[in-house]
Amino acid sequence: MPHDQQTRPYLGYGLGLRPDHYQDIVRDWPAVGWFEVLSENYMVDGGKPLHYLERVRSRYPVVMHGVSLSIGGCDPLDRAYLQRLKSLANRIEPQWISDHLCWTGMAGKNLHDLLPLPYTEEALVHVVERVNQVQDFLGRQILLENVSSYVSYADSALSEWEFLRAVTEQADCLILLDINNVYVSSCNHEFDALTYLAGIPRDRVHQFHLAGHSYQDNLIVDTHDTAVIDPVWWLYADAVRRFGRVSTMIERDSNIPPLSQLLDELELARRIAEPILNERAA
Amino acid sequence: MRLVHLQKQFQCYLLDGKSEIERHVVATDKASAMQRLAIYGNAYRLRLLEVLGEDFPGLKGLLGAESFAVLGCAYIDAHPSAHPSIRWFGRHLSHFLRERTPYNDRPELAEMAAFEWAQGEVVDAADTAVCSAEQLAAVSPARWPDMRVVFQHALRRLELHWNVPVVWRAIDDGTTTPTPEHSTRPLAWLLWRRSLQVHWRSLAEDEHWAIRACLDGRTLGEICQGLSERSAAPDVPLRAASLLKQWLSEDLVANIEFGEVPC
Repeated sequence: MPHDQQTRPYLGYGLGLRPDHYQDIVRDWPAVGWFEVLSENYMVDGGKPLHYLERVRSRYPVVMHGVSLSIGGCDPLDRAYLQRLKSLANRIEPQWISDHLCWTGMAGKNLHDLLPLPYTEEALVHVVERVNQVQDFLGRQILLENVSSYVSYADSALSEWEFLRAVTEQADCLILLDINNVYVSSCNHEFDALTYLAGIPRDRVHQFHLAGHSYQDNLIVDTHDTAVIDPVWWLYADAVRRFGRVSTMIERDSNIPPLSQLLDELELARRIAEPILNERAA
Repeated sequence: MRLVHLQKQFQCYLLDGKSEIERHVVATDKASAMQRLAIYGNAYRLRLLEVLGEDFPGLKGLLGAESFAVLGCAYIDAHPSAHPSIRWFGRHLSHFLRERTPYNDRPELAEMAAFEWAQGEVVDAADTAVCSAEQLAAVSPARWPDMRVVFQHALRRLELHWNVPVVWRAIDDGTTTPTPEHSTRPLAWLLWRRSLQVHWRSLAEDEHWAIRACLDGRTLGEICQGLSERSAAPDVPLRAASLLKQWLSEDLVANIEFGEVPC
């Protein structure tokens, strides 16, 4: 596997694996570097989801991306969930496993949303302890993704990027940097997205997400139902300049277009990143 | 505010709409605390309603979109998700419809939900091998009475008083939704998976009994004896052989076994 100047694995340009595209993928085997799969969608006993996942895995590298780890939650870590995650990883041997820097519910409830944490010392200690537990259980480093957020808390003492940096350095985990989420949160909370990027340690970022969003009142909502917009592409270019060659994928979860349209969008990512990377290399 | 209390307040806001979380959220000129929280509040219900709509299109067709949304909100309040995967959120819906007024006045709704949930279970049940006619042909006829039929894991049975599979098909095809029809005696339906696709058909009473007997671990000899008391067929061994042949042709049979039923 090619590596950047650090020991970062590099998969190229990928897409999220979605059921709408199963047939097209196994018929055409498109020129995609890798696929990201939503871990929970494949925590089933058999049938269509695992059938297509295994066929895709036979031809492409795959990474697992979860939404229910609740790394910042106050319930004890769900051991049954972790066991299923580990079993799925043993089955498909992903390049890496990621989830989100957030919480998703408490008292046994799952709210099926990526809820923001307060950026406090208490939350930092709490998350670091839980990342350590998860990494010990899985026997590997995990990637944590920055989420889009619409609220911030009066109690927060750190910026989001300071918190993310502290978590990853103290727990020795890695980062899935969602460029769209940086953009969305920077607009919603009126901070400078470039300051955010500058606050993220270079060697921890192993994956980029790109996605579209929508608008609700004065806020931007991370809906993954539209194409990536120009300001997010510009921020992606800035991220490539800062972080170098990082595996990049486009997330689309709703209003899903034909696969060919996403392949075109992925090609745009390549056309933005490659000249910058070549310039860096020179 | 301690992390646990903040999360408790936030969750109360999402589940009940009432909490003190607003006081801990930063308001700006761009948006008030409540406007910001409302993004999460709206998304919580919309996401769950969306998954119910995907899992229960027949129920949505029977009720209409507006009434389905009302039902969905009542269900969300009664059964907040407690599973890491949203795929399992609708598992209590059929029971909810059976128990809850006014839905229990329309029992076809609970049956439609049960039928649709069973389809979902068939989709991702554990894989099993498919027993071929050649495997069966290799069994000496002398051993047939001791043979037990093992079905695929994806097999589901339902007993329905309403013709909801017919109604479901009409809704799926986009044709005019027929009025559900009631029958005094329930009709048994079988759902299973073949080449990754969900199939179903109704069962005659003797076949339904035979399938239940197979699931209970009865031998073919015991099933023939039972059929002789239940089947209207003039030739019971021929009827049993015919059922077996059909099950094999539909990929229902995962294996044939002999000896004690494993615990």
